[in-house]
Amino acid sequence: MPRTLPLLAAAALAAQAHGQSVVTSPAPARVSVTVYRDSDRGLDPLNLQWLGGYALVSEIRHVRLPAGESELRFEGVTSGIVPQSAIVTGLGPAVLEKNRDARLLSPGSLLDASLGERVTLRRTSRATGKTQVQDAIVRATNDGVVIQTAAGIEALRCTGLPETLVESQVPVGLSAKPTLSVRIRSPEPVETDVTLSYITNNFDWQANYVAEQSADGKRISLFAWMTLANGDETALGDAQTQAVAGKLNRQRVWISPGEAKPIRISCWPQGTTSDIPSEIVPLTAQDIVVTGSRMMAPPPPPPPPPAAAPERGGGDVIAQEERLGEVRLYRVPIEVTVASRSQKQIALLRQPAVRVEQILTLRDYGGNFETPLQRVLVTHNRSAEGLGLPLPAGKVALFGQKDGRRILLGEGSIDDHTLNEKVEIKVGESPGVRAKQTVEQADGRDRYRLVVTNDMDGAQTVEIELPLEARAAGKALVKRDGWMLWRAAVPANGSAELVYRIGS
Amino acid sequence: MRPVFLLCTALAAAAPSFAQTPAVPAPSQTAQGDVAVTIYNNDRALVEDKRMLDLPGGRSRQEFRDVSASIEPATVTLNGRGVGVVEQNFDFDLLSPDALMKNAVGQEVTLVRVNPASGQETRERARVLAANGGVVLQIGDRIEVLRDDGLPARVIFDGVPVSLRARPTLSVTVDSQGAGRRPVTLTYLTTGLAWAADYVALFDEANGRMDVQGWVTLTNNSGTPYVNASTLLVAGAVGQAPNRYGYGGYAPPPPPPPPPPGGMVRAGMETSGRERIGDFYLYPLPERTTIADKQTKQVSFLDVKNAPAARAYEFRNGWLSTSDQPISAYTVLRFSSSREQGLGDALPAGTVRVYQRDARGNPQFIGEHRIDHTPMGSDMSLATGQAFDVKVRPVVEERTKVSSGRWKTRMRYTVTNAGPKPITVDVVQAGLWGDTRIEAESLKSERLSADEARWRVPVAANGQATVTATFDSRY
Repeated sequence: MPRTLPLLAAAALAAQAHGQSVVTSPAPARVSVTVYRDSDRGLDPLNLQWLGGYALVSEIRHVRLPAGESELRFEGVTSGIVPQSAIVTGLGPAVLEKNRDARLLSPGSLLDASLGERVTLRRTSRATGKTQVQDAIVRATNDGVVIQTAAGIEALRCTGLPETLVESQVPVGLSAKPTLSVRIRSPEPVETDVTLSYITNNFDWQANYVAEQSADGKRISLFAWMTLANGDETALGDAQTQAVAGKLNRQRVWISPGEAKPIRISCWPQGTTSDIPSEIVPLTAQDIVVTGSRMMAPPPPPPPPPAAAPERGGGDVIAQEERLGEVRLYRVPIEVTVASRSQKQIALLRQPAVRVEQILTLRDYGGNFETPLQRVLVTHNRSAEGLGLPLPAGKVALFGQKDGRRILLGEGSIDDHTLNEKVEIKVGESPGVRAKQTVEQADGRDRYRLVVTNDMDGAQTVEIELPLEARAAGKALVKRDGWMLWRAAVPANGSAELVYRIGS
Repeated sequence: MRPVFLLCTALAAAAPSFAQTPAVPAPSQTAQGDVAVTIYNNDRALVEDKRMLDLPGGRSRQEFRDVSASIEPATVTLNGRGVGVVEQNFDFDLLSPDALMKNAVGQEVTLVRVNPASGQETRERARVLAANGGVVLQIGDRIEVLRDDGLPARVIFDGVPVSLRARPTLSVTVDSQGAGRRPVTLTYLTTGLAWAADYVALFDEANGRMDVQGWVTLTNNSGTPYVNASTLLVAGAVGQAPNRYGYGGYAPPPPPPPPPPGGMVRAGMETSGRERIGDFYLYPLPERTTIADKQTKQVSFLDVKNAPAARAYEFRNGWLSTSDQPISAYTVLRFSSSREQGLGDALPAGTVRVYQRDARGNPQFIGEHRIDHTPMGSDMSLATGQAFDVKVRPVVEERTKVSSGRWKTRMRYTVTNAGPKPITVDVVQAGLWGDTRIEAESLKSERLSADEARWRVPVAANGQATVTATFDSRY
């Protein structure tokens, strides 16, 4: 009897592997990761549960292959791998094909693989604890499990007795995770470094700016974090890390997460004359279905707000920027570990004195209204203003100082900005600077009166955009970028007024 | 053969009741013969399976195991010399505890009761009277409901009814002239097998060249492996009548339709040197391979070095409107699939992934684009992403009513280039339908269609260029 199992197993191996040897590369020797933003996310914050960005992972693996045909399996790749994107270099023409197998080892697939095979049935007596072991053949696994024993045909776990099937080995071709492999044919043994590159989902990044406003409000000290997020189960240890700023085209692909089948236990009708539930086994089949679906991890605590980097001397690690085709690449100068399901921050830039103009803005669409104005920090991305470097999209937190204590003045966001562009950061509403518009005449030669009031002890610059058709006396209005602009200085604790007309 | 023989005798000796051969074979041994698979792009494949069958003379029923779990049973044909087909059946009445019990109604089963306190077993024969909502049994002169007391009881059936199967099974009743072993060919269509191309393009911007590798990517979600199959891929979607019922298998949910700009600019007119059938190009895999279930398999089919390629910039303004912010132009990769100046091959539909080397020489991903089946000789223009450094801001400078139903709109397009090289940006103004005319413009435009006009705007390195145009329109 004991001979039969190994015999069958040997046959199974031969049939599956066609005489090729299997070489497993458990982990990369060196790894490099480049993280790309989710370009559809816009300026929304990172959702660590659902990262829409992606990454290019490039791994160097040392492999030793025998002569002849072999299968090289890559373990330790991310679970979000896009298998179509995988590139294996370093083996030349020896590569016959690349495969990704998504048949996973699960209770259901283990049982399916035993269909028609001889397995061990183990019954345990509840009364005595004694186990009884016997052979059985699995006859059906579709909707409940049917087994054949020496006594006849029986259904598994429909008896109220503790019983289970025991397999002697894991079938060939089932693995814990989807596995990427290449089939190789080489005339002689090979020992070499292989580069495996692939695109993986479940990564994202953004810039997080921390702006510290000077006492007079005319300068900010701008610091930025590069916030990288890895939503994958796989950590990338001691990785050369890069991030790419810019919006790249990406096709949506569906990737099979692997098939993890549960064992379905289901029995014949089990109704009784009593509605008192049986205490030994659940009455309904559904209660004992063991599902193989992956549990969602509990949501991690929300990320802490990005703390401003303390002002200190040199020694900070700051990412280096370079041009990559039409986008920008930020390189972390040291090797870092991008841990699984985590977020990591590295300094992106530090510009200690950026000249900004504080203005209050409003876009006027007509009608009567009374509303506060938006506070906007305006600067130009050039060295004269203390900037002059690409600014990747991200969130901006503006802080001020009051009696030696930092306070949050507002939060905004910016899109990707290249050199010499005008940068506007909307930081919030200013409740003390308000605009009130009254329609004074509405007969086709419409007349509007607009009054801006200021409750602050300093003069404020306001910019109000009016429709192109607006006309006012003198040179009060100038044309700018498709709008008529009224730019005025509202005196401290005072007001400014504009009367304009639309229509002739 | 000796070990197998030993196995059988050992088996028979150990458990006489096992002498009956199991109806289900081990999955490690396939019943497939010489398999040829032809895969189309639209989740469809033709499987041809040559098997050696030992047929008795006259009528016999033959079961075909290891056919695709997503088989379209109506498309099955069986061919063999001297073999006539009487009927074909596709049985999907599956063996389950429930089906067993329902089939046992009116028959006797063995009931083994287990005493929960002592573990003692008592054995009785019982007749199944009904299996509706619960199982009603007749034991001697008593009528009982199975496990009404909640105590453990095993039901042992004497056998499996022939009509119940472990898997959906195809069976054919054949009429054979004479007995003997002979080859028969089983042919059927199945869903669950599909393929697409994947291209890796390494773009060398400085030299205006690119290296392209093409891979065919085939996926098997049909629920069945195809062992040592000769595989042929057909670049095309064969017509498919709507199929309302499928057996097993499933197709992945379709991805949301993407809106990628660009693609084939001009369809080519050259014939590729590849094999062809009818309208379709054929891509045979170079050798036999096993396509496992739930497997994605890639095989190289194209490797071109140093094909000419160029980067270009495109911007499209949808209507005569002002944009609040400068908008990044699309960065576009232009190349040809022609024999003389390009990849020199027809390109099956798939995704082109573009890489470029960074300052340290490592390839970095710079965007991807899906292409349709592309004839050889086509001009391609693929948007890979948005340019960080090249932006366009369209602004309505002036809008005046000239007469009733006639408007004059003066547009200004400011094109900025923060890059270190002079470039040309294609600025397209769309939304010109109707009788919109361009009355004046600072740069000569080209009217691409009634709807669109295009300016090719040269911009200096770290520079800016402005184009103005006045449109005379009805709205």
